[in-house]
Amino acid sequence: MAPLLTKRTYQFVVNNFLKLIFIPIALAVSSKADYIIQFYNSMHLTPLHLLCTTFLILYTLTVFLVSRPRPVYLVDYALFKPPRSYRASFAGFIEHARMGRLFSEPKSVHFQMKILERSGLGEETCLPPALHYIPPTPTMALAREEAELVIFSAMDSLFTKTGVKPRDIDILILNCSLFSPTPSLTASVINKYKMRSNIKSFNLSGMGCSAGLISIDLASDLLQKHPNSNAIVISTEILTPNSYLGKERAMLLPNCLFRMGGAAVLLSNRRSDRRRAKYRLSHVVRTHRGADDKSYGCVSQEEDDEGNVGIKLNIDLMAVAGEALKSNITAIGPLVLPASEQLLFAISLIMRKFFNSRSKPYIPDFKEAFEHFCIHAGGRAVIDELQKSLQLTNEQVEASRMALHRFGNTSSSSLWYELSYIESKGRMRKGDRVWQIAFGSGFKCNSAVWRCNRTIKLPVEGPWADCIDKYPVHVPDVVKL
Amino acid sequence: MVSSPITEGLIYDKKLSSVGPAYATDPDLVHEPGNLDLAMKLHYLRGIYYFERQAFEGLRILAIKEPMFDWLNKYPVTSGRFRRAESGRAYIKCNDCGVRFLEAKCDKTLEEWFQIRDASLEKLLVSNQIIGPELGFSPLVLIQLTKFKCGGTSMGLSWAHVLGDAFSAAEFLNMLGRLVAGQDLGPPFGLAQSLTKSVISNDLPKVVEDPIAVKRVEPVGDNWLTPTKFKLEPFYFDVTPTQLAHLQSKVGPKFGPFEAISAITWKCIAKIRGQEMGPNVVTICKKSEKENKVYGMLGNTQVVSVVKADFPIVDAEPSVLAKLMREEAFDIRDKINEAMERENGVVDYVVYGANLTFVNLEDAKFYDFEYRGQKPVRVSYRVDGVGDEGAVLVLPGPNEGEGRAVVAILPEEEIGGLEAELKKEGLIA
Repeated sequence: MAPLLTKRTYQFVVNNFLKLIFIPIALAVSSKADYIIQFYNSMHLTPLHLLCTTFLILYTLTVFLVSRPRPVYLVDYALFKPPRSYRASFAGFIEHARMGRLFSEPKSVHFQMKILERSGLGEETCLPPALHYIPPTPTMALAREEAELVIFSAMDSLFTKTGVKPRDIDILILNCSLFSPTPSLTASVINKYKMRSNIKSFNLSGMGCSAGLISIDLASDLLQKHPNSNAIVISTEILTPNSYLGKERAMLLPNCLFRMGGAAVLLSNRRSDRRRAKYRLSHVVRTHRGADDKSYGCVSQEEDDEGNVGIKLNIDLMAVAGEALKSNITAIGPLVLPASEQLLFAISLIMRKFFNSRSKPYIPDFKEAFEHFCIHAGGRAVIDELQKSLQLTNEQVEASRMALHRFGNTSSSSLWYELSYIESKGRMRKGDRVWQIAFGSGFKCNSAVWRCNRTIKLPVEGPWADCIDKYPVHVPDVVKL
Repeated sequence: MVSSPITEGLIYDKKLSSVGPAYATDPDLVHEPGNLDLAMKLHYLRGIYYFERQAFEGLRILAIKEPMFDWLNKYPVTSGRFRRAESGRAYIKCNDCGVRFLEAKCDKTLEEWFQIRDASLEKLLVSNQIIGPELGFSPLVLIQLTKFKCGGTSMGLSWAHVLGDAFSAAEFLNMLGRLVAGQDLGPPFGLAQSLTKSVISNDLPKVVEDPIAVKRVEPVGDNWLTPTKFKLEPFYFDVTPTQLAHLQSKVGPKFGPFEAISAITWKCIAKIRGQEMGPNVVTICKKSEKENKVYGMLGNTQVVSVVKADFPIVDAEPSVLAKLMREEAFDIRDKINEAMERENGVVDYVVYGANLTFVNLEDAKFYDFEYRGQKPVRVSYRVDGVGDEGAVLVLPGPNEGEGRAVVAILPEEEIGGLEAELKKEGLIA
């Protein structure tokens, strides 16, 4: 009880420092009021002086107001909900692996079974039709079909939710890491919805699971340049062309974890959207560890000995992710942490650097900075690791775990499924701050911080609508197949 | 399967996938087949439903698969896989593994197909897979959709008899038709959470004879294939209403089409087998009078009865045989149940073909399977895994079921002789 009281008092004092010292200063000024009035009268200011001073003040104020960054609002977002007929049960997945290309490799099948058992995925995740065949039939036509199904249904839903017309869209950004056809997916969206000819479109590929936040960052930068505009960001991963058909273990992992998903987000800097927007973007912080060779090579797409292309995950993935997270936290900390935490961290740093104190480094309590956390559902290991290093409670990682269970690793769109979970549970209140963290090949760690603009009322329309009451579910450490 | 020059290339563009329940079944649920179910485990029903163009017109394969997920949601047992309990008794783990789905194309039109259609060709339209060698990876139900050049489609249902009899299988498929028509099928059939039947009995097995309706075969282990001395093949023939009338005049007006056809076929088989007395024990299977406890539930509830004739069949009058089948058949299901119970469900029995078996499928609602308002123009069924004595199935005929469709599954060498005898009797034109 006593340590908690001390902690809370310390936080109150440091965080509200300026407000607290304002009171004595105000008292001091008011006590000297006569002196100030005397001083003013002695200056003998003419009306011209006053006018110029007023103009100067107004001018400075205007420059200040105009050069402030434009607020970026997240008006609303829509998620792709896969049809029930795309469902991939664990037993079915393993049987297909056994019957297909891995017929003569029981060890590889056994390995995949072990992965699934511990993956944290549930039995209702979905794969595209091409990957339901024995063996999979990854044709270009089927890949396009998957892309169109995911993207167009998310877009249709977004247009319905927001009431925005396709012709009103000024900026279109799409990220899909592993499928990049010609014409681009962005072009197919523009074609389908008959968007304007002066639309600014960007198609980002190859940037991994953290590309969703890269797209948000790009959109935010563009919205600074273009006043009174809106932007749609589409994040998805198309699985059809990317099923690994070989037997190398490090490359079989993505097959087990990646599932269908997609998100379409509407961002805007228009004043008219100020009231109805759900969130406001506070910060986007991007950290790239590509300069370090180990980080660069830890997730790479290559051919195995038999010529099958797959994504190889290195054993030191967790360690690299940890390093990337540390970099990102160091960058984002000063922007979001309350003064009390920053002071403690600074003191701890000085103590360790200059006084060679052997004490453990102080890990800022990020729970003080955010109400909600969306950790990219890359796999159970990622979520466990982040929970440990950031000292998060089970409820704080619940959205990530449940999104992983219900939808699997949907790559860049997983952050949005998690956000939707929090909203569907009725936990999102006005003023709440959300921290989205995503990792991706390169190795990158990107964060975005949003502030909730209005309390989200239930029921929430979205992919969780028909099953939110079943959640949270307990995900056993090992599911026995 | 070796393909002859005629069959090669006839069925092409084969694709394999799976369909399963739409919603996740709760983990660790099981279904334990009863003793009568396990007695049938070496048999498989292979049914083919032929539809004209309109039934599946304009439907992409995804549109055909989609309602199947809601359909299979009602029957989670069909998507499960077999496991063995510690006692060795087989049970089904309902793990949503799925029903196998095959797609194929045929370069003949339906009309052309019906002209060349015979037993060996029909095998191409339905999966011939059995359960085994790995129980855990063997689907219990396989569906094959073959598209003909004219747009007509055949749906082949491969059904493990351990799940249920032909009446169950027919209702199972009819449910799909109802779902596609927009009907709500209701909640899924319930499952058990623990194994109750697989208790190792401590009583020493009494050395008692197996009931006469079954034949004990050498242990097949996890490869559920009936070991037979001969190679059994199906032989199809239709009995038109005129022929049926002619038959009934021979046998007597008291007896129905099934008894009439069975009596005459029995006599014909006796003639070609040339045995002194026999076959003088036959097994008769027909639909149970009792309604299922729960509508649409799967199970082997058909009546299995045995008839013993103590006179030579070859010389007997068909009317006498028909009378025997109707009046002297005694229900042997309890004995089969007991026998299986004694063995803790581990023994391997054959029911169809242990004796010459006649299966009355007249009341099976095969033609009730309506897909988008279209009934099948033809339904063809056979049984795989029949024992050496053979089996004869009597199905409802096409065209409002006035005639009958008969399938005789007999050792290959006997088929020619049977055909000749049946011609003599006027059953075949």
